Amino acid sequence: MTADFGVCGLERQNDQKEPAGENGAANTQIEVRNLTKKFGRKLVLDNVSVSIDRGKTTVIIGPSGCGKTVLMKHFIVLQRPTAGEVYFDGQRIDHLSERELNRVRTRFGYLFQEGALFDSMSVAENIMFPIKQHFKGVTWRQVEDVVKAKLAMVGLDGFQNYYPANLSGGQRKRVALARAIALNPEVILYDEPTTGLDPIRSDIINELVLKLERDLGVTSVVVTHDMRSAYKVGDRIIMLHNGRIIADGDADHIRDHPHPTVQQFINGQVSEDDLAVLRMSGAVATSQFLPRDFQQ
Amino acid sequence: MIASLGAKAVQDVVDAGRFGRFTWRAATTSLRCCLVRGTFPLVWNQVNVIGVRSVPVIMITGAFVGMTLAVQAYDQLAGMGLEEHLGVLINIAVVKELGPVLAAVMLAGRVGGALTAELGTMNVTEQIDAVRSMGTDPIRYLVAPRLLACLLLTPILIMYADVMGVIGGALVSFLQLGINSRAYWNFSAAGVELWDVAIGVVKGFFFGGAIATISCYKGFNCKEGAHGVGQACTDAFVASFISILALDFALAVVFKSIYLTFWPIKSLV
Repeated sequence: MTADFGVCGLERQNDQKEPAGENGAANTQIEVRNLTKKFGRKLVLDNVSVSIDRGKTTVIIGPSGCGKTVLMKHFIVLQRPTAGEVYFDGQRIDHLSERELNRVRTRFGYLFQEGALFDSMSVAENIMFPIKQHFKGVTWRQVEDVVKAKLAMVGLDGFQNYYPANLSGGQRKRVALARAIALNPEVILYDEPTTGLDPIRSDIINELVLKLERDLGVTSVVVTHDMRSAYKVGDRIIMLHNGRIIADGDADHIRDHPHPTVQQFINGQVSEDDLAVLRMSGAVATSQFLPRDFQQ
Repeated sequence: MIASLGAKAVQDVVDAGRFGRFTWRAATTSLRCCLVRGTFPLVWNQVNVIGVRSVPVIMITGAFVGMTLAVQAYDQLAGMGLEEHLGVLINIAVVKELGPVLAAVMLAGRVGGALTAELGTMNVTEQIDAVRSMGTDPIRYLVAPRLLACLLLTPILIMYADVMGVIGGALVSFLQLGINSRAYWNFSAAGVELWDVAIGVVKGFFFGGAIATISCYKGFNCKEGAHGVGQACTDAFVASFISILALDFALAVVFKSIYLTFWPIKSLV
């Protein structure tokens, strides 16, 4: 698992697993093989292979800008790979046309980092949107009932006529979650669901993730850099660093992982290299004139 | 330097290809949407935003075009004793060129800017990705209604501008310049044909298509942040403005060829 540790350099110390074979395929819902993504010349994902197990919650952690969100957007092909393949339920989906992908995407729910609620629509209209797009024959009453049920699941029944601008950050995320589950998806993708929330609101979101997994039996993928959240909701934790997987396992595996970058990340410690940069910038700062220098 | 020029040329070709693909998808999707009843409410919303709210500003634009033309052209014609032909000059210029072009430029600023800002904000706040993630084609849901509304409404708005231009020009001619109204209208009726009016209105169809497509494309591809949205709006207006001028020239050549094929050339006076 930690091949070549201490011999071939940090970038090669990783838990990168081989794609699921014949035996693992039945339990694998999403799989990416040798995924590489470049934006211009910038390499964001470097030959990543990972499979997501059905009915489990997989958490992807890593520092900001390491490619977590980009990797998750590939699961639903909101981003097309530069190289590599994406599979959903054994079917390759990265080469499908947008129209073919739309059918696949209805089986996913996606909670965006800032909610991505349509600000020109009320809460109820936001949740109705996917239903009205895909179920033409349903009556207004049926749609209203679904909206009420979905809002009740996230504890916001009664907020139907509010607009996103009138909601707090936590409420917006919960409404976005209600919209993500409007089509009863098989997979829910959470992009930093607790970022920007206070610890209590964060815990509410964590409980909701667990509740949806328990009640709906969905497969969940959570992108986060909140370790408290990762330990609480994750059956499995994957760590990305510089576009590669460097750790993959359950919470205990991650806690005891020997890779120094993993330990720095999970303990929230700054590295010696970063400290050196800070010390250097501190030296520059003291050489500059500040207002208090003139006051003294 | 050569390498950077080459890279820029390659990037421009890539951008042109992207825009071409976007335009093709928008056009084919809009055609398909014409046959789907569910599209009509979305188009109707845009009719209100794009059309109804643009009427005052378009009418003001048209009126001032006609009034200014009257003031500017009077001295030239009066010097030759042809001031009673002022109506022909004003009305042909308004319905054939200045009305459509200036109304379209005004729409590029008002409607194009709003479309780019709205879609650009949706893009940077991931709302367009949200539409895609829910299995809905954003071109069908966001672009097609706007394109259809612009195609439908720009010719109508140009007719408003034409009417106001004609009225504005006539009022200044009668009230300020003292031109005989009977002669003014007689010469105008003899000089302005239905063809001239039709050209202006047909141009509106193309201008509307260009404004909607460019504005939506810039909104869909704007960079992150407030600066990105602002830059996209500026780019959309500049590109729409240049497209309007280029289309106006191309259509003038085409319509003139068609006209000369069927009718002999006719002097304004």
